[in-house]
Amino acid sequence: MKLLKPSWVSHNGKPIFSVDIHPDGTKFATGGQGEDSGKVMIWNMAPVLREEDEKNENIPKMLCQMDNHLACVNCVRWSNNGLYLASGGDDKLVMVWKRAAFIGPSTVFGSSSKLANVEQWRCVTILRNHTGDVMDVAWSPHDVWLASCSVDNTIVIWNARKFPEMVTCLRGHTGLVKGLTWDPVGKYIASQADDHSLKVWRTMDWQLETNITKPFSECGGTTHVLRLSWSPDGQYLVSAHAMNNSGPTAQIVERDGWKTNMDFVGHRKAVTVVKFNPKIFKKKQKNGGSPKPSCPYCCCAVGSKDRSLSVWLTSLKRPLVVIHDLFDKSIMDISWTLTGLGILVCSMDGTVAYLDFSLDELGDPLNEEEKNTIHQNIYGKSLAITSTEAQLSTTIIENPEMLKYQQERQNAAQAGSGPGGAGLESTAPKLNSVMNGESLEDIRKNLLKKQVETRTADGRRRITPLCIAQLDTGVKQSLLLTSASKIEPMKALDSRFTERSKATPGVTAVISSTAGLTPLDRLKWRTSNKEETSSDSEDKMAAINKNLSFTKRKADLLMDGGEVVEKRKKGRPRKDKMATPISQPFTQPSRAAATPAPVAALKLPTPSIQKAFSLQVSMEPSVFLEVENDVSVVAGSKLSQLRCSRDGREWDTLLPSSVVTAAGSSDVIAVACEDRMLSVFSSCGRRLLPAIQLATPMSALHCSSHFVMALTAGARLSVWDVQKQTALVKNESLLTIMSGADTTVSQSLLTQQGVPVIGLSSGKSYCFNSSLETWTLIADKGDSLVQCADFRSCLPSHDAPVSSGPLAVMQGRNLNAGRLASRLSSTPHHLQQSMTLAFLENQLAAALTLLSAQEYRYWLLIYARFLVNEGSEYRLRELCKELLGPVHKSAATAWEPTTLGLRKRELLRELLPVIGQNLRFQRLFTEYQEQLELLRNK
Amino acid sequence: MCLSRFSASVTMAKVQVLNVAVLDNPSPFGNPFQFEITFECMEDLPEDLEWKIIYVGSAESEEYDQTLDSVLVGPVPAGRHMFVFQADAPNTGLIPESDAVGVTVVLITCTYRGQEFIRIGYYVNNEYTDPELRENPPIKPDYTQLQRNILASNPRVTRFHINWEGCAERMEDSENVDPASNSMLPPSCLPGKAPPLGLLPDNSMDCL
Repeated sequence: MKLLKPSWVSHNGKPIFSVDIHPDGTKFATGGQGEDSGKVMIWNMAPVLREEDEKNENIPKMLCQMDNHLACVNCVRWSNNGLYLASGGDDKLVMVWKRAAFIGPSTVFGSSSKLANVEQWRCVTILRNHTGDVMDVAWSPHDVWLASCSVDNTIVIWNARKFPEMVTCLRGHTGLVKGLTWDPVGKYIASQADDHSLKVWRTMDWQLETNITKPFSECGGTTHVLRLSWSPDGQYLVSAHAMNNSGPTAQIVERDGWKTNMDFVGHRKAVTVVKFNPKIFKKKQKNGGSPKPSCPYCCCAVGSKDRSLSVWLTSLKRPLVVIHDLFDKSIMDISWTLTGLGILVCSMDGTVAYLDFSLDELGDPLNEEEKNTIHQNIYGKSLAITSTEAQLSTTIIENPEMLKYQQERQNAAQAGSGPGGAGLESTAPKLNSVMNGESLEDIRKNLLKKQVETRTADGRRRITPLCIAQLDTGVKQSLLLTSASKIEPMKALDSRFTERSKATPGVTAVISSTAGLTPLDRLKWRTSNKEETSSDSEDKMAAINKNLSFTKRKADLLMDGGEVVEKRKKGRPRKDKMATPISQPFTQPSRAAATPAPVAALKLPTPSIQKAFSLQVSMEPSVFLEVENDVSVVAGSKLSQLRCSRDGREWDTLLPSSVVTAAGSSDVIAVACEDRMLSVFSSCGRRLLPAIQLATPMSALHCSSHFVMALTAGARLSVWDVQKQTALVKNESLLTIMSGADTTVSQSLLTQQGVPVIGLSSGKSYCFNSSLETWTLIADKGDSLVQCADFRSCLPSHDAPVSSGPLAVMQGRNLNAGRLASRLSSTPHHLQQSMTLAFLENQLAAALTLLSAQEYRYWLLIYARFLVNEGSEYRLRELCKELLGPVHKSAATAWEPTTLGLRKRELLRELLPVIGQNLRFQRLFTEYQEQLELLRNK
Repeated sequence: MCLSRFSASVTMAKVQVLNVAVLDNPSPFGNPFQFEITFECMEDLPEDLEWKIIYVGSAESEEYDQTLDSVLVGPVPAGRHMFVFQADAPNTGLIPESDAVGVTVVLITCTYRGQEFIRIGYYVNNEYTDPELRENPPIKPDYTQLQRNILASNPRVTRFHINWEGCAERMEDSENVDPASNSMLPPSCLPGKAPPLGLLPDNSMDCL
C-alpha cells in the first residue's frame, strides 16, 4: 500500500467536506468551504497517481473551481455516466454541473497556469426544495434519480432525466438526515439520520421498507455526516455511526431480513463515513497454491472522527489496514477509484489523502460477468447490475431467460456495429467558425477598418464586435508562458491595477494574477472538425451500404419467390410440398367486356377452345394433364380425350364435349367443357361428382387439394369441397368487388385450404370468406399503408423463410412495403408507426382469412417484433393473452387452442424470445413464461 | 416588502476576456492606442458592454487619470468576438511634467450594467529614442520625441464578481439563476436596498 497526501489539493486550508472520483478515473471533485461561499473544485487525477505528472508544470492540477454555492458544500457526487456532478450545500441547494464544452476560455487571460480553469463546468440546474442544509446527495444506479437529504429531515428524489422535476419527498425521519446510499440493484435507498435510525425505502413505491433503530439508540448527534454505504453485491448495508456496548461501530445490516448481527468495531470515535469498494474480489491465486475456489468478498473503507481510516475485507475478521493520524481532524468523505485499487480520503482539516493498494493486498477484482454470476447465485435470478440499454438501464433483469435474450441481442448489436463502428466519440460541440474561410490573420489586419462603428443617440461610440466563433470546441489551448518582464514593481502603480476607479466603487477583487499573454495567432483555432465529418460520413456510408445490401437481399428473396412460380409453370419438379396455388393468366379481356355495362352484363373473359393442350397440375406427386379435343366422332357427337399421367401411371377418359379448360391438384382433376359442364375426377381417374351444370361458360377453373373453384363468365364464383361433397362458396357474384369502371379480374387462385382469391386490375385482391359469407380485401397494391409501412427492422434476420403463400402471391413482388418509408422520413414517427401497425394487422387478418398458417405465423412474428420495438405493451399483452388462452379449462370458454392448425401456445413460445429482447417487457415475459411452464407441467 | 436572500444574483462571469493584443507598439507618444480585444460570451447579452481606456497620468494621484475613450460594444450574442479599441493619445496638457517620462500605466476596463468586472493593466514606458535626449531630458517634455512602449507581455488582470442579471427588482422572474450571498452584492447595485444581514428571514424561499 502506498500513501500520498497531495498538498496541492486544498481549499486554501478551509475544510474539505466531500471528495468523489470521476468514473473515468481522470479527475476528482472536492467540496467544502470557500472564501465567502461554498466551493466545488475539480482536480486532475494524473498528478496524484504519478509523481512525474505532479512535477510536470505543463500538466494542470486544478481543472476548475466553482464558487456558486452560497455556503459550505457538504457533498459532491459524479453521476455514474460521468456527465454530471451534483453538489449539495448549506445553502439548501443542490446544484447539478455539466462540462460546458462550448464555452469558457481554454486559458484564463492574464492568470497563471495554476489558476486557470482548464475545464469549464457550468451549473445546469439548481434543485430547490430543501428548507435546510443539504448533507448528502446520491445518484441512483444508471442515473435515473438523484437523491438528496437534508437537515430538514427529508430526502428528496429528483428525476435525473428531467431536472428539476421532483419524483417524491421521503418523510419519516425525525432528525437531520446525514447520509444516503442506493442499493446497487436499484430496489432500495437507505438513509441515516440523527434520529437514531437507519431507514430503507423501496424505490418501487417509495415507501418505508424497514426502520432500524436498535444499533443507534445510544448514538448522540455528534457527527457532521453519516455517510453509509451498500456493498456492491447488494448483500450488506453498512451504517455510519452506530454503538455497540458503548463503543462506536459501523453496523452491518444484512439485506436478508435486515438483520443486524455484525459490525465493524475498533474506532475510538464515531464513524462518519463508510464506503464500499465498487469491486467484488476473490483471493489472488498464488503459484503452486491450492486451486480451491475461494469465496468472493467485498472491501470496505471506514473513516471516523478519531481521524483514522480502516480498510476491511469481508473475508477477514480483522481490518486489512488501519491508518492512524492521517489527518488533524475528522475524516469527512471517502471515494474509491472504479478500478477498486485507489482511494481518496478528505478531512475537515482541509487535506486529502490518496491510498494505493495492490492486487496482492486486496485480491483479484471480479469482472462484470463474474459479478453477475454472483448475483445470480445470490438471488436465484439474475440481477444484472451491468448496464444494459441506456433508457431501460434501471430495469433489473429478474429472469435468467430474459437475460439470455438481452445478451444475445447485445452481442448481435455489437457484431452489427462492426469494426470501426463509431462509438460516441467527441460529444463536445464543434467550433462553428463564422470566418467564411478568411484566415484569422486577414481578419485581424482589417479589423479596425472593417468593424462597424456607430454613434448612439447620446453621441457615444458603439462598436459591433466581430463574431469569430459561435461555439467553442472546448479544446484545451495551452497557455504559453512568456518570460516575466524585469520591470521593478512600482508599488504606487501596482495598486492602481486592482483598485477600482471612484466611478465604480468597489467590491474586493477576487482574482488578481499575472501571466503572459497568449498571442492570438498561436492559439489553436483549428478543430478536428474535418476529421469528424469524414468519419461521420464513413459511418453514413456504412449505414447506406448496409441498407443497400439489405434491400438487395430482400430483392433476392422476392426473386426467389418469382422463380418458384416460374419453375412451376415450366413444370420442373420441385421438392416443395407447399404447393402454391396455380395462377392462370387471363387472356386480355376484350374492350367490349371491359366497358361499363349493366349489372347483368358483367362478363368475364373465357378461354378459347384449343385443339389440344397439356399442363402440369402438381409436382409432388407429379401430375400431368393432356387434353385432346375432337379425337373421334361417335354417333354424331364429338368426343374429347383427357389423359392424365400421375407419377408415370396413366389413365384416360373421354368427354362428350370439347374441353375448354382443365385444372387439377394432387387429389382432384377438374375439366370444364364447352357445354358448360364441369367434371371432377379423382387422381386415379375415377369420376367423383356427376357433371355440374354451370349457368355461364367457365372463365377460370382451379383445383387445390380437394377443392375445386369455378369462376364463370357471368362473374360468379363457386367453390366445392369434393371430399365432403359440399359447397363452400355458392355462386357468389363478383359484382361487389368489381364496381370500378375498368376493373377486370387479373388473377384468380384457390388456396390449399379452399379459399378463393380474386386479384383485380385495380391492384386489389379479395378473397371470399365463407364463414363470414362476404368478400374481404386481403391486399391492395396501391394502399398507402403498404407504401409507408416500415417494418424492415422487424423482418426475420436470416433463418426464417420468406413467406410464400397466397398472401405473398397476391401481394407478390409489388409488396414494396417500406420502400417509400425512407423517403417519408419527414413523416412524423408516430404516423409511420401507426401506418406500420395498421399494415401489419391487415396482413395478419388477411393471412387468417386466407387460412394461410405459415403466412400467419410469419406475420405474427413480425408484428410481435414491431410491437416489442415500439413498446406497445397494450397490444402485446392482448396478443399474448389471446395466444395463451385460459390457464384452467372451463366449459364456458370459447377459446380455441389452435389457429389455422397452429397451436397458439406454441406460437406464444415462439414470441417470448422476441419479447425478451426489450427489457421493458420483462414483467410480461416472466408472466407468460411462467404460465407456459405451468401449463406444460400439467 | 419582500426581502429575499436571493434578491441578488452573482453568476459565473458571462464574459471572459481571452486575449488582448497591443497593436502599433511601440509607437510615437502621439499615436492612438490600439488594443485588439478577444472575448467570449456564454450567452446572449441583453445589454452592451462598456469598455474604457484609462491613462494614468501620475502614479501619485488619480487626479491625473485620463479616460482616453469609452465605447459601447454590442450587441453581444453568445460566442467568441473580437474588436479593436482605438483611442487617442492622452492630452499632454493634463500630464504632470515630472511624470511624462518614465513608467506609468494604461488600464482597460469593462463594465456591464454599470459594474466593472474586469480590469486589464499594462505598464507603459515612455522614453526618448534619441540617446542625446535620453541623457539630457529637457525640463519641459518634448512629446514629439517620446516613444511609448507598452509592456504587452505582462498584463495585470483583475476580475470582479458582479451581478450579471441586473438589479434586485428584476430578479423575481429569474428562476434558474445561480444565487449568491449578500456579501457579494455589489454596493453599486441599489445601495441601501440590500437588507441588513440580521434581518434576513430564515427561510426566504417562500418569497420567491
